[in-house]
Parts: sequence; structure tokens; C-alpha cells
Amino acid sequence: MWFKIYSNNMVVWLVLLLLGSSLLFSSIASASLSSSTDTTMHTNNWAVLVCTSRFWFNYRHMANTLSLYRTVKRLGIPDERIILMLADDMACNPRNKYPAQVFNNENHRLNLYGENVEVDYRGYEVTVENFMRVLTGRHEAAVPRSKRLLSDEGSHILLYMTGHGGDEFLKFQDSEELQSHDLADAVKQMKEKRRFKELLIMVDTCQAATLFNQLHSPGVLAIGSSMKEENSYSHHLDSDVGVSVVDRFTFYTLAFFERLNMYDNASLSSLFTSYDPNTLMSTAYYRTDLYQRRLEEVPVTNFFGSVMETIHTDSAYRIHQRKVTDRVERKRPLEKSVDHGGRRTLIHSNKDDQISDGKTQVHVCPFTQMWSTLNSKVERIEDVDSLVNYGLIIMLPFLILSVWLSL
Amino acid sequence: MEKKEENKRQRKKIRGGFWRWVIASVIFRLILIYFPQNLNLSSRPEVSTPLTSLRRLAEGYWLKQASMSPYAGSMYHGSPLLLSVLGPLTVKRIEGQPDHVLCSLLFVIADIMSAMLLRATGWKLQVAYRESLKALDIINIVESSDILASGDIAALVYLWNPFTIVACVGLSTSPIENLFIILMLYGACIRLVPLAAFGWVMATHLSLYPAILIIPVILLMGYGLDAPPRKLFLLKGYCKIGDNNSGNIHCEQEEMINRSKAQIIFSRRPVVLFFFWTTLWSVYVLVLCGISVKQYSGLWEMFQRTYGFILTVEDMSPNIGVLWYFFAEVFDFFRNFFLIVFHVNILFMILPLAIRLNHRPCFLAFVYIAISSMLKSYPSVGDSALYLGLLVLFLDELADMPFSFFIFCGYVGISLLSPVMHNLWIWRGTGNANFYFATAIAYACLQIILLVESVSAMLNHDRKLRKLSVANLQDGKS
Amino acid sequence: MSIRPIDVMAIPLKSTHFFIFLLLLSNIFTPIISFGLTIEQEREEFYEELLLRPLPDRKVLAHFHFQSTAPSSNSNGRHHHLFPKAISQLVQKFQIKEMELSFTQGRWNYELWGGFDPISSSNAKPPGVELWAVFDVPQDQVDASWKNLTHTLSGLFCASINFLESSTMYSAPQWSFRPATGNIRYGMLPREAVCTENLTPWLKLLPCRDKDGLSALMDRPSIYKSFYHSQRLHLTSNKSGPEGMNPGIILEQTLTVVLQPNSQRTSMTYSGEKNVQPSWSLSSIFGRKVSGRCVLAKSSNVYLQLERGLVAELKKNKNNGVGNIASEGFWSGTGFELSVRPDKVFEEENSSHRRGSSVLFEFSVDKYSDSQPFDLGLKWKFPVTWSSEPAPLHASRFLMGSGNERGAIAILLKSADLNDASLGTCSSSNGYKFRVDVFQVVPWYVKVYYHTLQLFVNGQPKAVGDVIEKIHVSPSKDKISPGVMEMVLQFPCDVKSAALTLEFDKGFLHIDEYPPDANQGFDIPSAAISFPNFYTSLLFPGNCSVDKSPMLSKFQEKNPVLSYTEVLLVPLTTPDFSMPYNVITITCTVFALYFGSLLNVLRRRVDEEERLLKSKAGKTAPLSGLLSKLSAKLRGRPQETPQSPSNSSSLISSKLLLKVFLVAVLAVAWQYYFG
Repeated sequence: MWFKIYSNNMVVWLVLLLLGSSLLFSSIASASLSSSTDTTMHTNNWAVLVCTSRFWFNYRHMANTLSLYRTVKRLGIPDERIILMLADDMACNPRNKYPAQVFNNENHRLNLYGENVEVDYRGYEVTVENFMRVLTGRHEAAVPRSKRLLSDEGSHILLYMTGHGGDEFLKFQDSEELQSHDLADAVKQMKEKRRFKELLIMVDTCQAATLFNQLHSPGVLAIGSSMKEENSYSHHLDSDVGVSVVDRFTFYTLAFFERLNMYDNASLSSLFTSYDPNTLMSTAYYRTDLYQRRLEEVPVTNFFGSVMETIHTDSAYRIHQRKVTDRVERKRPLEKSVDHGGRRTLIHSNKDDQISDGKTQVHVCPFTQMWSTLNSKVERIEDVDSLVNYGLIIMLPFLILSVWLSL
Repeated sequence: MEKKEENKRQRKKIRGGFWRWVIASVIFRLILIYFPQNLNLSSRPEVSTPLTSLRRLAEGYWLKQASMSPYAGSMYHGSPLLLSVLGPLTVKRIEGQPDHVLCSLLFVIADIMSAMLLRATGWKLQVAYRESLKALDIINIVESSDILASGDIAALVYLWNPFTIVACVGLSTSPIENLFIILMLYGACIRLVPLAAFGWVMATHLSLYPAILIIPVILLMGYGLDAPPRKLFLLKGYCKIGDNNSGNIHCEQEEMINRSKAQIIFSRRPVVLFFFWTTLWSVYVLVLCGISVKQYSGLWEMFQRTYGFILTVEDMSPNIGVLWYFFAEVFDFFRNFFLIVFHVNILFMILPLAIRLNHRPCFLAFVYIAISSMLKSYPSVGDSALYLGLLVLFLDELADMPFSFFIFCGYVGISLLSPVMHNLWIWRGTGNANFYFATAIAYACLQIILLVESVSAMLNHDRKLRKLSVANLQDGKS
Repeated sequence: MSIRPIDVMAIPLKSTHFFIFLLLLSNIFTPIISFGLTIEQEREEFYEELLLRPLPDRKVLAHFHFQSTAPSSNSNGRHHHLFPKAISQLVQKFQIKEMELSFTQGRWNYELWGGFDPISSSNAKPPGVELWAVFDVPQDQVDASWKNLTHTLSGLFCASINFLESSTMYSAPQWSFRPATGNIRYGMLPREAVCTENLTPWLKLLPCRDKDGLSALMDRPSIYKSFYHSQRLHLTSNKSGPEGMNPGIILEQTLTVVLQPNSQRTSMTYSGEKNVQPSWSLSSIFGRKVSGRCVLAKSSNVYLQLERGLVAELKKNKNNGVGNIASEGFWSGTGFELSVRPDKVFEEENSSHRRGSSVLFEFSVDKYSDSQPFDLGLKWKFPVTWSSEPAPLHASRFLMGSGNERGAIAILLKSADLNDASLGTCSSSNGYKFRVDVFQVVPWYVKVYYHTLQLFVNGQPKAVGDVIEKIHVSPSKDKISPGVMEMVLQFPCDVKSAALTLEFDKGFLHIDEYPPDANQGFDIPSAAISFPNFYTSLLFPGNCSVDKSPMLSKFQEKNPVLSYTEVLLVPLTTPDFSMPYNVITITCTVFALYFGSLLNVLRRRVDEEERLLKSKAGKTAPLSGLLSKLSAKLRGRPQETPQSPSNSSSLISSKLLLKVFLVAVLAVAWQYYFG
């Protein structure tokens, strides 16, 4: 019931947006959305894990991402709810001494690449554009499900990014940047499109804290590896692989998670307090002001795992609603194909018309008749080049004659 | 009397020298053509742009022979008529001769013809200049600048300009385009309407930009050759009437007034004729093109692939212009905007120049050509050669042009430096695109300075003439 | 149409999980399921086979071949027992008649590993990803379904195949790549990385995945350590089979690996001899053993193939050369011995090749189990050196020229020693010439001048006309389509070497079109060169098991010899990626300079006139003169001015007054409206 009202409001807000009164818009939106968020329940968990840096010497970033990937899989998020973006291929890199294996520790005890890894975006595909598309869900129709973030207003999303960054930006592939504004806009859009209930952004890069400055959407929690003007360093170097294999922040995050399994509920605050500035060599930064719940009672599996309480609720109604919207979405292409068909028939008919009125004109107008005969003559010419050359040669006496006449 | 005699003698001497130099230039070109292949000018970016390179033309001809559209694939962007003329010459190989020798001979002939036309135009201009000065009875300048015959000098400069030589030897089709432009100017100068129309149509068909030359051509048709501002004639006429003395002076005043009138009034008939011939020729050319691209996808594709390619700067291979790097770097969503801006930049200046210089149509034509060859999307040295040759036509008027030495040195420096930068960037890999772009920028600035200075010099010349005429009017009175 | 792939993807993910569950079940209640299969669904079949072959350069070729067939979907709805549902969905959605997708790393070494046998010509693939598909849709929908297919495959195999969607990446070969195919699309990604994430979904298509059967051998590190591995998926579907064969979909998955067995044991046993071939076993090259067959497979066999050259060598070494090779004890008597006794031995029935005939040992892994796993080992007794059969002409391709402005592509065909067998086919073929098809795709930023095509046969330049029998070129359009060149060359039989060169210019791209690692250079996909006069076929004596085994029946097909050339790396010049703002500002400054200065020159006249007037007025009394003129104007009657210059100056001054008046009016208006 209230859903319809909400949609009506949406229309009104769109008008307001067109008028450009964005302040009013945002205020209304945030108010209503906050109301909507606390009504929705936690339905599922998603994870978007991004390694943004290319080239072999950035091995550690891929190791970071893969270790997070392994952790969230271990804690129960299935593969099709994980969007894994790896900017380069380290595992089968010719420089890799251990093909098809990636390690995040000197003791090669744990092969992160394992037997069964699903990389959704890799190589040149990892661009800012694709990243934004994944977050905001604006793909072209052909993009398969496994590359989409199909979350709903009840999902908890973990967004982990690592790479080389700076003050309010994160570099993608050493060629383009993701600005903090872009990130904030994407999150805002996700909120508007009700693609998440709670979002945890975890960034391991230099000056990671600056990336969160522009965030305003409610329900967002952010952890950065370092404050402004701080670098976040790698943990240790593997002399066999030849490069440093893991970053400090991620290393200690993993150290925290290795002690957990799916069922014990350590709180987020315990995770946050587990970071020690001396070992990190940078101060981890938490932004909690947009997050309603108290961190003490939020278990880490809220984001890093897929553990949800089973409440008996009448959420069937809303799910039904969503189904309806889905169906509406799916109709569109069908219509497209339909009017494709229509267009094709139209074209045919046009052709027929042309043919027919061509015939009629042949009967009607002598000029067109002459023209058509001339055309047919031209069609019949086989050696066009010589004709053109003759034409050019004729041009000269014609020119001379005309000049002589006009003298 | 004896003054005239020695003038004649000097003329003869100059003539003899002239022909000797012309022949020498032809021989020089032939030597360069038969030079062993180690100087491959034909692939220089300064010489062969995507529009003018003969290699692309050969590719287009090959495609045509393979019964494909010459515009299939984005190789050839020239006119189909040029293709059907030059194409067979490109495939013809003569034993013991370098490749494309026939084409290069054709280009040499084109150069000579355009030089001759330049010379004739120069003579006409100079005669007109003289007698207009006589009409204003300012003889002292004429006396001072009597000896140097700007026509001959222009022709020689055009023939010996290294740009022209390189463009001719380097197998680019720009000599032919230049030939048609000069043909148009010549026809307009001697008021041969069909010739002018033919030249204009062909030049526009070959390279889009000469289309703007229709304004000077119309002015030439209407008002006749370059002359001092018409107000002076009016002024002169009036003040002559103002004090009427004995009869014999009176009658010659009459005819002087008539002449000044004749110079003022705009004769419509040649212009109408010009438009008539223009339509005639353009229809003819279009029919020929239509026939030649008939069995492929027709005229529309031709327009897209030639004029469309010129207007939307698609090819970003480096040349002496500045647009290639700009459009290689500019953000995609600004591209169309800047395309419009840069093309409108050419059009903007047309009207003010036409208003200000409408009494000197030939010079106006020179200015237009310089502007278009500076701002066109794929400039080459051939275009620069053309306007440098035309510049010399106005030797007498631009005698006191400032910075001329500096500009000359600039041209020399750029034409030496730009190949070095290109080599550093493309071949050695030690340089950077910015170096080459810097030379392109410098070249553009030089052209701008040349243009501005020549225009201002011409205007100053007119002012000087006015002052003189006013002065000797006054002393004629008192 | 455009939404389809989403639904396509919807089911496979589910279906794979369905299969996991099925597999768990299968391991427990094997007999039940097998019964069920045999009873109700005998037409949906799955075969798994592995071919091992020692290679001349101390390496081992392992060729996995899995084939699963499904009857046409109309017979039994959309339900599949063994056949991967993702693939059947793919076929149904996009009306695929035939499709092949291959992920390859490394380059097949045609000289050493042979270029004349079925494996080299059908499983040696260009590096990176190669995808071609033949669609069964009307001509105008082919591109759309190709686009959707690439996206779906990229989701299915965790690769960025969707880059093939853009029209600059794929082409439509007419006749040279595959003869007589209608609307085919062909695309290549030479720089695509191939790794575990590509192999895993490929294995998920198998009923037993990598849990059981031969596919259990696929230990990722050992496979990706290999010199060459090519993972290929080929599917053909024919609804209402026209030519005899049963309607339905045939999915053929092959994995070809060239491995280096670590030869410690050899050096231990035969310390003296360096050139003895290394002994190997499955466990030594894969690090795993086969513990029984995949219960869902109809047959699962391991074959060991000895090449013709090797067999001839062995015969020579064996002093009594006239022993029947296929007879028992041959394999123990000669230079090597097998750890497992083969079930069957086939000898190739002698084709026209004089180099002897290859021998095939068949091992059935049915009788092995976890308790005693199958571990085939081959131990060499004394050194053997042989050479495998090369392709009739060895094709290689390279770049010529230096600098980043232009260059030339050269394709060089060198004849290996043409044994009389190939000569026989040559002479038997049309007109004492033998035919070479060349198919080459060139990206648009390499602008090829096709009129510069030159041909050299045995070193002498030949006219293009008398060597090229047929040529089809579709030149590249900038940013729209790549250039495709297809040629049929006819060479005399005694050709020793042939080369053809094409000149090209290197294009200049917009900065957004360069990849992040632009300075690494750009790839020209490898050209396909096929020899239609030469057929690869291993004919084994008509045997029930041979007919049953799909791999051997594949080998018996007569396919033309096909070989790929190298991928070329073309360095392109890069602009300065950090410059855009500078370039924009500088260029606009230059334009402003032009515009402003020229306009300034043109409008300099006015102040000139003013100066002139001032000087004149300076001669007479300036103010009084002006005022008198003004009053005269106002009164409208001509004021008497005796001196002559006033005549001209009055002209000017009146104009000047007009101007001043106009300006004043404008100023007042401005003040009034905007002030």
C-alpha cells in the first residue's frame, strides 16, 4: 500500500530534481529512505572485492583481494554473490614462479587461488566505468548475471578495494582515478535504487580515509587503512616470489578473521579495535556516523559472512512487488523485439511503395522516364573508367571553346 | 626616351634570366625524381596528408580494380576523378625508371603551368597597379618600384620554393590542387568567366577549402583588379570638378571621372555569367563523379568519405597542423564542439576581410588561402607553398612589411626543426609527441604573424596612397 | 532477444550446483544412478579419454578428450542428466549451429611436436582466446546474437570474452577459415590470460567435474606449469539431423597439455647417457593418479600413442625387424617398457606415409579403484631419437621495418623436407600444384596497403596473378571493422620457400583508446594457414572399440592440415597521456592569437582617422572649430569655410560627429536599461 504512495512521491521528486532543487530532494529522500531502511529486513549478503592495480610488482594487492575473497567464502558468502575484480593476472603470470598459485604469506601454506575461483572482471575490464556500473547496476542488457550485483534493499554489501591511492582518489590500472565524489555518488544512487541495507566499505590504500569524505548516505560504514597524509605499507616480502605479498592492514584483518568461524559472533567493534597503529604503521580510520546500529552488537558476519536471523515476517508482499517490477523490466526488450518486427514490416511496405510509385511515375512523367532510361544506360556501361576519362578529356575542349567564346 | 630604352633592356635581361631559372628548376626536380630512393619524401607527414598522399590513391585504385568501392576501408579520401586519372599512372611501371615516374612528371608539369599562370597574373596586377597610380597621378612610387616585375619573381619563387619542390617530388596531389586555384585566380583576373568558374569548381571539388574563394572571385568579376581604395578616385574626381579651368583639361577630367565611376560601379553581368558557368561545371563534375562511383554506393558515400573526412578530423596521424594532436588528446564529449569552433574560425574572418579589402580582391584571395591553409584539418607544405607564391605578387604593395626577415628565418628554422623532432619521436623513440607538437604550434604562430603583418602592411600602403593623393590634390589646388 | 543471456546465466549457476549434488549422490549410490541412466536415458552419453604421447624433445603430450552428447531438446523437454544445461541453453537461445572456444597459453611448436597429425591441426590453437561460431539465424541478426554470445561466454568462463563484442574485434571470414559455412563470426583475443578461473567452469561442465575419473588428474599447478596448454570447447548441434547423424548437441571438450617430466630417475639409472628420453608416469607428470573411472562415463580409456617416426626407430633398433608390432611383447621387447599391461594394441593401417605407422596402446581404467589406482608409467631402456612429422610447409610470420610510422608484415612458408607421401598428394591434386589457404585478420590501427602485396617463391619475386588463385579482402575501417584478408595460393610442387609481404602504416589513436599498458604494444592476431591438399587422419583397423571411442573416430576424420602463425606485437607511438589540458589551452591560445590580432588589424582604421582629425583640428582652433561645426550642423545651414582642407575634413568630421552621437545614444540607453 505505502509502496504506491512512495512511487507517487518518486514522480514528484523527479520533477523537483528537474527543477534543480537538490537540497530539498536529498533531505526528503534521506528521511524517507531511513524510514524505509529500518522497515526492511536483512535478506542476503553480497561482496564486491576490487583489486585496482596492474603489473607484477603489485602482486600484494591481488593477494589482499584474494585473501578477502577466501575469507568471505569461508564465512559463507557463495560465489555467485561475490563480484571479484582483478586488474591483472598474477597467478598465471610468466613471472610467477608458482603457476596458478597466489600466496599471501612467506610460508606458502595457503594457496589463495585454490582450485575453484570465480573472477568476474579481470584485466582491462577493471575500469572505473565498470566498477560504477556494478555498484549502480546499470549494465547493458547482454551482461550476464554473474557480472551483476543483484542486491536488494535488504542486502548487506561488503565493498573491499585495494590499490594505489592518494588524497580523495584511488587509481585504477595506473591510468584512471576513482574520485571520492564518484564513490559517494555511486553509493547514493545505490541507496536511491534501494540496492543495499547496510554497506561496509573497506579500503586498503594510501590516505584511504580521504576516500570517504564525501559519503552521506545512511547505512554506510567505512574502514580505511590509513588517515590523510599517511601511507599504508606492505607487510613483508617473499623472497621466492620476489615481491611483497600482502599489505599490513589486510594482513592484520586476516589475522583477526582466521581466528573466527561462521558461528561465533565477534562484533565489528572488536575488529576495529584489533588494529594496532604501531603494527599497521598507519592509523586505521573508521567512519561510523552514517551507521545507525551500535557496533558492539553488530557481528562481523553481518558483512563478512552470510549469517542471517530467521524472522517470520510478511515480507512476501514486498518480494511479490519486486517480482512485479522485475517483470515490467523484462517486458521492455520483448516490446523492443516486437516493434523491431513492426519496423521491418514497415520497411518492406516502403520498398513496395517505392517500387509501385516508380512504376506509376514511369507511366506518368516523361522526364522520369528519360531519367530512368538514362540510368539504365549508365547501368549498362561496363568500362566506367574510360568513360570518366573521356568525360575529363571532353572537359578541356569544352573549356577552351567557352573561353574563346567569352573572349 | 633613353629611360624607356634601358627599361626595355632590363626587361629583356630579366626575361632571359627568368627562362633560364625556370628550366633550371625543372631540371632540379627531375634530378630529385631520379634520385635513388633513399630520400623517401612521399611518406613524410609534412608532404603527404591522408588527403594528398599518392600511396593511398594507389590503394584506392587497387580496391577499385578489385571491384570494391575505392572508399571501402578508410584509405582513400580524394576525388574519384583524380583516381581515374592518376590511378592508371600509379600502376604503370617503366623498366629502369623509379616508380610513379609518370605521376611525378605530371606534377612537374602542373607546377610549371601554375608558375606560368602566376606570372601572367602578376603582369596583369602590376599593369593595373601602375595605371591606377597614374590615375591618381602619384608617379613617384611607380618610378621607385618600376624595375622589379613581381610576376616573374612570384613565378620563380613558386618554382624554387623548397616547399613546392618537396610537394612536387614527394608524390602528393597538392600541385594539382594549387594549379586549379591559380587557374581560377588567373581566369578571374583576365575576366574569363568560364575559366574562373572551372577553376573554382575543380579546386572546391578536389579540396573543400577553396570554396570560400568565391568571394574574391566575385569581387574580381565585379570591380576588376586590385586598386587603391575607390574613395580616392571619388575624391580626386570631385575636387577636379570643383575648380574648372580651360576646356581641354575639362574633357580629360570628364573621362577621368567616368573611369573612376567605372571603377566604382559593380558590374553584375560577369557575376551572373560566373554563377551560370559554376552551376554548369559543377553539374558536369557531379555527373562524372556519379558515373564513376555508380556501381558502388553512390555519391553520398563519396561526400561522406571526402568532405566528411575533412570536416570531422578522423585521422590523427601527425602533420604540420595543430589539430591532429588536439583531437587525439581532447575529451570525447567536447570533440564536436571544438570541431565546430575550429571550422567556424575560418568562416568568421571571411566577412570582415571582405569588407575591409574589397578593393583588393587578389590580395583578399591570398589572405583567404593563407587562412585556410593554416587552419585546415590536414595541412601540408604544398598549401604553404601556394600562399607564399601568391604573397610575392604583392611585392610593390608590401615593400615595407615589418618582421619580414624574422618570419623568413622562422620558416627556415621550423622547416629544419620539425623533421628532426619527428624523427626523434617516431623513429628514435627518444623524443616525445610534445616536441613535434611544439614545432607545429610555432609554425602556426609564424603563419599568423605573416598573415597579420601582410594585411596591416597592405592597409598601411592604402593609407600612404591616400595621404599622397590628398597631398598632391592640395598642392594641385594651391 | 537482448534480455536472454540473463536467463541463460540464471540456470547454469543453478545447474552446476545441481550437478554437485548429483555427484555426491553418484559417489554414494553409484549402481542406482548408473542403472537409472542405462534404463531411462540411454541416449545422453558421456565419454572420457586421455591420449599420452612422448614427444621428440623429451616432453610428453597429454590430450584429454571429453565428449558428451545430448539428444535434441524436443525429444525430452529441457531436462538433462549428464549434459550441461548451460550449453544446451546457449544453443537454444542463440541458435548456434557450431561453435568453438579455446583458451591457450604458450605456442605449439610445429617443428618439434609435429604439424601433420590430428592433434596439432585441430587442437594446436593460437595463444589467448579464439572463438568462432556459426549461427542458424537470419543474416541481420547474426551480429546481435554474436554480441550476446560473447557476453554469456564471458560470464560462463570468467574471461573477458565480451571484448569480442565490438565490431572492431570480430570478422566474418568468407571461405578460407572454414569452407562452406554461412554466417560465421570469428574473433581472437591474443592477450587474454588463461588460468584456473577459466579451467574450473570448463571442468564444471563435466558430469564428474574434477572429482572423479580422468579429469581428477588435472592438478592446476602442474597443468599451468606446462609449456603449452590449450583448453578447447567445441559444440555442434543439428536439429533433425539431415545427414545420418542423430539429432542433438555434441559437446566436445579437449585439454591439450605439453609437459616436461622431471627426469631424475633417468639420470639415476642411466647416469652415462644424456640423450636418453626421460621416463615418466602419470603421477610424476601430474602429481596425481587415476582412481577409477567417472561412473557417469560410458567409457573411459587412456591411450598411449607412439608416433610413426618413433615406431620406425624402434623397429630399426629391434634386431629382428620383421616382428609384428601389434603382437604381444613387442612393447616390452623394444626400447621402452610400460608399467601397466595394455588391454589392446592397435597399429595404424598403413596410409600413404612411408615413415611407418603409429601404434596405439589402449588402457581401460574401469578395473582400477582408490585401493589400486591407475598410474601408467613409461621407462626407456636406451636412447631413441626421432622426429615427428612436420606440416608440408612451416608457416611463420614476422614484422619488417623499424620505427613507429610504418612497417610490413611478412608471412614465410618454408618447406620441411617434403616426403614423397605429400608429394603424392601434391601430384594427385589439381594441376601439379598444391594449395595453401591464408586467412589473416588485422586490427584497424594497422592500416595495411593491400596494393603493396608482394610474393616471393624460392627467393624470386613472382607476379601476384600467377600465384594467387583467389583473393578476398575487406579493408579495415577506422574504429569500425578490422581488415580481413583471405587468399588461396597455388604453388608448384617443388616449392622450397615462399614469402608474401604487406606494407602497413601504424595508426594514431585517441588517448582513451590506448590500454593502460600502451607501451607494451598491440597484438596482431595470428593468421591461420591451411593446406587443403593434405589430410590428417589416423586410420586404425575397423574395431568396435575404435568406433566406440569418439576421440579415435575424431582422429579418423579427414581434416585439412591447419597451422597458426605467431602473434605479432606492434609497438604504436603513444601521445603524452598527461597533456590534454595543456594541449587544449595552448591550441586555443594560438587560435585566439590569430583571431584577435587579425581583427585588431582590421579595425585599426577608426582611431587612425581620429588621429588624423585631431592633427587637422590642431592646426585650426580645435574647440571653436568643432563648436562652430556643431552649431552649423544644428542650424543646418552650411557654414562658410574659406580654407581648402576643411573640404575634406568636413566630410570626415560630420561622420565623426555622427559616430560620437551614436555612441552617446548607446551609452544613455545602456545606462537607462541596465544601470
